[in-house]
Amino acid sequence: MEQCDVFVVIPAFNENSVICSTVADIVNRGYTAVVVDDGSTVPVETFLAGLPVYRLRHAINLGQGAALRTGSDFALLKGARIIVHFDADGQHDPALIERLIAPIRYGKADVALGSRFLTESDSHEVPRVKRVLLKAGVFVSWVFTGMWLSDAHNGFRALSRAAAEKIRLEENGFAHATEILELVRRSRLQWVEVPVTIHYSDYSRGKGQSVFNSFNILIDLMLRRLFH
Amino acid sequence: MKSIQGILIACFLMAAILASIAFRARLIYRLLAVVLFLAATVFIFFPDLTTVIARSLGVGRGTDLLLYVSLIAGIHIVLLLYRRTRELEHKMTELVRAAAIRDAQMTPQS
Repeated sequence: MEQCDVFVVIPAFNENSVICSTVADIVNRGYTAVVVDDGSTVPVETFLAGLPVYRLRHAINLGQGAALRTGSDFALLKGARIIVHFDADGQHDPALIERLIAPIRYGKADVALGSRFLTESDSHEVPRVKRVLLKAGVFVSWVFTGMWLSDAHNGFRALSRAAAEKIRLEENGFAHATEILELVRRSRLQWVEVPVTIHYSDYSRGKGQSVFNSFNILIDLMLRRLFH
Repeated sequence: MKSIQGILIACFLMAAILASIAFRARLIYRLLAVVLFLAATVFIFFPDLTTVIARSLGVGRGTDLLLYVSLIAGIHIVLLLYRRTRELEHKMTELVRAAAIRDAQMTPQS
């Protein structure tokens, strides 16, 4: 498998220049980058400074789940072998992509889920309030999917082509994290958790989800159950 | 005729007309609007009728029965609208996503 068969999908909404260094790092490692601008006020393109990446743009803001789906569909169309979901705000380390995709590359799993809670040092990086919230998220995921993970709402994950073809996200908002698990479970895909370090900066914290939003996600999940 | 009866008739007539304009393409809904209007008229002129029906269902007063029925109808309508919104959202999402994939660009141009 060539390095460029690994497609890194980066949903972006109202990002600043941080995205440029993140994407440049990904490109320099030989991966194919797909930046999906989710209807930002200032087009994300402005910050990409001519980097050799695929640029897609939603005409209006739909949500991160929709952006990931668009990016994944496009990557499949372009013949991707592995699809990586990657945050634009500098939280994720491009150096860890290799570790994350290794289980898929060597056929040990279809889906690799990044986790902040597999090593002591990684979990110390997580702010305390967030840690409690994420543990609650683990429980919610278990209720909805029956999968007990160490970290339920980590946006850093990788899918094999076969898995990506089966995982068709319909949740536009942030409930997609749980939706993915649901689909993994239903399609009987082989999954594995991989330790990743998440770097919290003031910028990424500002962009991250608030406590309040967690309730929104929970309600989205319940409505989803009712209306599908 | 008491003045409240006149007011109610006028309101229901207006609602029925608006409904049949709004549902121009759906005969069932138009018929429903007419039937509901006729039913409302009957109950407005013979209010005691509601109490008779209420009693037979074990509800004390006709007005209480009306309250319960309208509450259920209200919840039903909210759910229908929610469902409709979701459908529209879904269609819109498909459109926006398809356009984004169609117009995908590579920089620098390859």
